[in-house]
Amino acid sequence: MSLQVDAATSGKRRTHPITPLVQVARSAPALFFFLFLTVGRGGAGGIPAIGLLGAIVLIAGATGGFAYLQWQRRVYWFDADGDFRVDSGVLTKKERRIQLSRLQGVEVVQPLVARLVGMALVKVESAGTSGESTVSIEYLTLTVAENLRAELLARAAGVSADAPTAPEEVLHVVPTGFLIKALLLRGSTFGLLLVTAVVITVSVLTGGPGGLVIVLFTGGIPLLAVFNEFTLFFDFTVARSPDGLRLRYGLLQRQSHTVPPGRVQAIGFVEPLIWRRFGWVRVHVALAGAGDGDSSGKVARGVLLPVAPWPVARQIAAALMPGTDAATHSWLTADPKSKYSNPFQHKQLAVAYDGDVFASRGGWLTHKTSFVPHARTQSVEVVQGPLQRALGLAAVEVHTVAGSVAVVGAGRPAAQARQLADEQAARAEQARRGDRSVRWMRPPPATT
Amino acid sequence: MRTIDEAFAPPGEAWQSISSKLVTARRLTLSIVLIPMLALWAWLAFDTRIPAWIFPVVLIVSLALFGWAWWLIGRRVRSWGYAERNDDLLVTCGILRRRLVIVPYGRMQLVDLTAGPIDRWFGITTVQLHTAAAATDATIPGLEPGVAADLRDRLAARGEQRSAGL
Repeated sequence: MSLQVDAATSGKRRTHPITPLVQVARSAPALFFFLFLTVGRGGAGGIPAIGLLGAIVLIAGATGGFAYLQWQRRVYWFDADGDFRVDSGVLTKKERRIQLSRLQGVEVVQPLVARLVGMALVKVESAGTSGESTVSIEYLTLTVAENLRAELLARAAGVSADAPTAPEEVLHVVPTGFLIKALLLRGSTFGLLLVTAVVITVSVLTGGPGGLVIVLFTGGIPLLAVFNEFTLFFDFTVARSPDGLRLRYGLLQRQSHTVPPGRVQAIGFVEPLIWRRFGWVRVHVALAGAGDGDSSGKVARGVLLPVAPWPVARQIAAALMPGTDAATHSWLTADPKSKYSNPFQHKQLAVAYDGDVFASRGGWLTHKTSFVPHARTQSVEVVQGPLQRALGLAAVEVHTVAGSVAVVGAGRPAAQARQLADEQAARAEQARRGDRSVRWMRPPPATT
Repeated sequence: MRTIDEAFAPPGEAWQSISSKLVTARRLTLSIVLIPMLALWAWLAFDTRIPAWIFPVVLIVSLALFGWAWWLIGRRVRSWGYAERNDDLLVTCGILRRRLVIVPYGRMQLVDLTAGPIDRWFGITTVQLHTAAAATDATIPGLEPGVAADLRDRLAARGEQRSAGL
């Protein structure tokens, strides 16, 4: 009971009282499905329908009761040291403390059920690759959730907590028609359609109906994949605000993600074969701590832009990181002998660097260009397999905190690879000294 | 071939090499496979249902493999080297797939010191460096415990001076 007194006096906050209901409601579809299966047939295993109904009500009640207890014990607040704290747990008590200087991003998510009643949850991400690095505060009204996000980011950025919510300016919205067109015009879609056509032809020729089942799969998978990505990236909006780039997207489950500029570990541009003809590109960002979460979250959180024309992509990437325009770099192409070690992509292989970033290029059908800031380089490696050794080649790898962007310069002349690695390590050390992105909204310290 | 080795040349005079006790320790670990191998040989030699030619073939092949692994351990351990520079640590290793890792001190998150039972028996220790990147693999096995502890303390002190955020 002392907890409640604390909550009233010391700025500890609770989530919205509707939380237990929303949590039960989210598991309702499974219960209804079970009900439909059993009650529809007038009971199962000798238990009458009414008994099953009673059992389900009991289960729902018990789940709700437990959710209520959990809600009662869950409090969050900012402590005297400025850390974000969350206490929770009914049987096992859990106290979490997040150092805001290690904050990697804040996400506001509205799952479908929560969205219907105007609720949202806030995901607070700190660095780390295990599932332990994210704390989820559920559920809050959308306004409270957005205020909490603003407060977390303001505190993390090193400005006062009661600073007004950072105003935002919409940079780009991916048009719905363009998104559908781009998702359909990918090599994987065509490959699977081709397989479908072959299967149809074969099953018509042999007269067997068995092939038609396979058609459902091969024709269904690309459609399902496109549909999935479409609902995920629907109405993808990129907005700029002083606390970072805001990404909002989703048809059924609406998400809003803020990417603080100082937290970007790397940026990658990916161009599938057909998109290249039209000058379209997908942009990925690697953030520390973005490695966890459910699979759709994993896909979405690494994506800065699902698809955009090059000029837009360049402009938005430039808002996060300097030096991401490939045209401004002088690219060092790979050694001609790399056609033996990398027969498909040797023409694309190249690396470049300037005062801000190290960049690499590669890929055969799908071209990839990746950029990593010197200040984010964790370590550098030179690798030489037996084939490269015979050719006098080596690869240089730049390691960053995990993510969907890899920076590897393959097929370099061996001595040059070593020189690049040595220089890159020195640049990383140099850039780190001048780096002040940990508190990115504070003015730079006066130099004496 | 001079040009190839340039890529893995030591920054100074020579690489700091690791203790040759590691060769002995690893070879001892390898020798443990001899126990099941002896049992296999005995079975092949004395079971009359098995054609007589199988035993010598298996014996020669397995001894050849054993000798090759024995020899490889020596080469692999000799290929290991490390060097401390002003701003970073270099670790190199590998025969077939050669690697050289450069870790700036400011990027180190933690330094591990480990010694398994066989390692302890021989008096050797492994030092491993971790950065925030999972891909970083900077391991120096087979150091004398005193050398390893000194190295760890030096690395930790330098990391402390230059520590940075992610």
